[in-house]
Amino acid sequence: MFKNEEMEINMGPQHPSTHGVLRLKLKLDGEIIRHCRPVIGYLHRGVEKICENKTFFQGQVWTDRMDYCSAVANNLGWAEAVEKLFGITVPRRAKYIRTMLNEYNRLASHLIWLATHALDIGAMTVFLYAFREREAVLDLFEAFCGARLTTTAFRIGGLREDLPPGFEKMARTFQARFLACIDEYETLLTENRIWKKRTIGVGILKADDAIAMGVTGPVLRAAGVPYDIRKAFPYAAYDEMEFAIPTKPEADTYARYLVRLEEMRQSHRIINQCLDGLPEGPVMAKLPKILRAEVNEVYHPTECPKGELGYYLVGEKGSTNPYRFHVRAPGFINLQALPMMVEGTLVADVIATIGTLDVVLGEIDR
Amino acid sequence: MGMMNQPTALEHILITTKVEKIINWSRATSVWPMTFGLACCAIEMMAAGASRFDFDRFGAGIFRATPRQSDLMIVAGTVTYKMAPIIKLLYDQMPEPKWVIALGSCATAGGPFDSYHTIQGVDKVVPVDVYIPGCPPRPESLIYGFMKLQDKIMASSMADRYKEIFEAVV
Amino acid sequence: MENNPNSEPETQAGPCAYDLKAAPNRQVVLPKTVPLPSLKLWRAEQEAAAAAEAAKWQKTLADYEAAKAKAEAEGKDAPKPPVRPVAKPDANDMKFPAPAPATDPDLLRLQEVLGDKVEEAFQQAGELTCQVAREAVQEALRLCRDDDALHYEMLADETATHYPAAKDFAFSVVYHLTSIRRRKRMRLRILIPDGFEPDTATTVYPTANWLEREVWDMLGIRFSGHPDMTRILCPEGWEGHALRKEYPVLGLGQREIDFREDRSGMLNRRALEKAGFQSLNLNPPKAE
Repeated sequence: MFKNEEMEINMGPQHPSTHGVLRLKLKLDGEIIRHCRPVIGYLHRGVEKICENKTFFQGQVWTDRMDYCSAVANNLGWAEAVEKLFGITVPRRAKYIRTMLNEYNRLASHLIWLATHALDIGAMTVFLYAFREREAVLDLFEAFCGARLTTTAFRIGGLREDLPPGFEKMARTFQARFLACIDEYETLLTENRIWKKRTIGVGILKADDAIAMGVTGPVLRAAGVPYDIRKAFPYAAYDEMEFAIPTKPEADTYARYLVRLEEMRQSHRIINQCLDGLPEGPVMAKLPKILRAEVNEVYHPTECPKGELGYYLVGEKGSTNPYRFHVRAPGFINLQALPMMVEGTLVADVIATIGTLDVVLGEIDR
Repeated sequence: MGMMNQPTALEHILITTKVEKIINWSRATSVWPMTFGLACCAIEMMAAGASRFDFDRFGAGIFRATPRQSDLMIVAGTVTYKMAPIIKLLYDQMPEPKWVIALGSCATAGGPFDSYHTIQGVDKVVPVDVYIPGCPPRPESLIYGFMKLQDKIMASSMADRYKEIFEAVV
Repeated sequence: MENNPNSEPETQAGPCAYDLKAAPNRQVVLPKTVPLPSLKLWRAEQEAAAAAEAAKWQKTLADYEAAKAKAEAEGKDAPKPPVRPVAKPDANDMKFPAPAPATDPDLLRLQEVLGDKVEEAFQQAGELTCQVAREAVQEALRLCRDDDALHYEMLADETATHYPAAKDFAFSVVYHLTSIRRRKRMRLRILIPDGFEPDTATTVYPTANWLEREVWDMLGIRFSGHPDMTRILCPEGWEGHALRKEYPVLGLGQREIDFREDRSGMLNRRALEKAGFQSLNLNPPKAE
């Protein structure tokens, strides 16, 4: 008597939980998802085309705005890719400071992830607590380069200027109190019955599927694969740092949550090493005023908080602008795996899964 | 004369004012925004709503997910060609009275993205009441812009508003 | 576009008049060179430069001999002998990474198995590059993934570049492969003319699904055998492929939209009412 049809609904570009302008076309059978198709492109700003008309020095500005939650990591990728293209050596002090700021950026990005992921699932207190710590990290960025969010922190060949006076004191104050804050988030969530019911067994992506889909970052590490570009292909000062790569075998949302919390602790450890072992010296390499390229192409992968962020640059002989600029965005590749993780589960699990993939539409759409 | 300046017994418990002023005051101090973060400025909007720069103290802390229950659309981020008709649809779905804040350089004038897919400013799509430049503007800027919007609401007149809405048709 | 009230006027009034039409980032400049990194081309270039420098030196010497003979004939002093110019040592911390011939075992293995399908293999800036024939790309990718000595499990990135100044080809499609177990990276490259449809990589690496859709959207290269060859970033009806060199940054006028006539939505609502869309459903219920 009643027809049992599939209902197609649109989890539209304007949605409180889609972390930006992501559109999902869902075919539902009751509450169970039969088919999911992500539609992206609502934030496509043509960054790759714009940067073809900008010099190598100027292009860094647009990289902040791609993955806007981790702007410093994007800047580091750009600076290192251009330095690889030209064969520029960066002084050691600059490498240490870059590593330290990159790890602070990892903390800031993971704090936003925790805040929004918890807010989507319903834990609103964690949102306010995580943003309180994030404001302290943004104070550090503002002391260094003047901007909170879109930093343009580095320069080709090093840094613009050395650390400001008082930076080390601010950083050490933050370091002293931060581990207790992570423990505070853990007391709210890790043994929480509701959190565990909403995240254990949800959004499973096993290692083979993850590697086949090219997924990297905490999603891959929570599937049991200990792959971290900071250890596998070290850049900046990571070959001199001691830190662990957290992995978990279960490959569900709860595992990714634990992996990211542990990554925050490891970042804290790396920052302590940077602060303790900061070498003396210049912070900027000697470069000509105008950088003219030779014919060369580089692909420089870095470990962004979301996964592998790769910059592909092609240089033209005698030109100050890149001939081709392409970004391998981790969110773009990770989002491809979403239908695989979500088909057969409930609508509420889609929210948890998008949060755990930690997608930022700015870098997906570029 | 002295007696004119002393308050009479009734003025302790009565305020006389215009109905319009009360309605404007209630509208200005309980503006409910819609969650409409597009890009980087959305993060600063979230920071403005979070612990340090509390947005709730202005009565605007409740971000509604649906346009049908909201008064204010804060367009935070870049407006692209693919997204523009959706913004127009959401604006049409909001009930009167409604206001729009263009947060950031991208919503004001396209920002640093002078490209083929970016609309140079959301005011080509919806009418904007307050523009807040910056890339991204600090949460204090957003709060200042919001207070300017509150001033605008307090100074607005209901008759003018009606004419403004229907002037294209009348 | 000039008739559109939306587009900026050519000259602006006011204290700072910016000539927007002449802005450098708004010009379409087709590149005249082909910046394709290649060992053969670089070697050829170096030899040509060395030959030109040698020829110039011989000419300077010949000129000097002629001038000396002329001065002796006239009885004047001989001119100064020429000094061969030496390249000044660069004080910058910059050393361009030159391409080197392939010595890495991975490249040698590819050359061994694929034979003459490998057109070029070299190393530059610490990266391995291997250019294969365009029809053999799926075979090369499958070899990289399945061979035990190579074991490149993951496709990190797939992208393409437009070379309008090149004669034999128009695009280069680049595949970046990662071996997690062996901690190695490699780049595979094919050169294709306009209109050629390379085989899709989705049968070997499912990651390539959206990556190839993006290449189609941005550059207009179709991949044969792809399950869903549609535009991904630009909307469905978009004309033009954005990252081609002849496509202007501002686009072909698609962004000049203006909803200002219907700001309040009233015109739309009146039009719908006139067309018979009622906001209340006053029709009698129809039997299915």
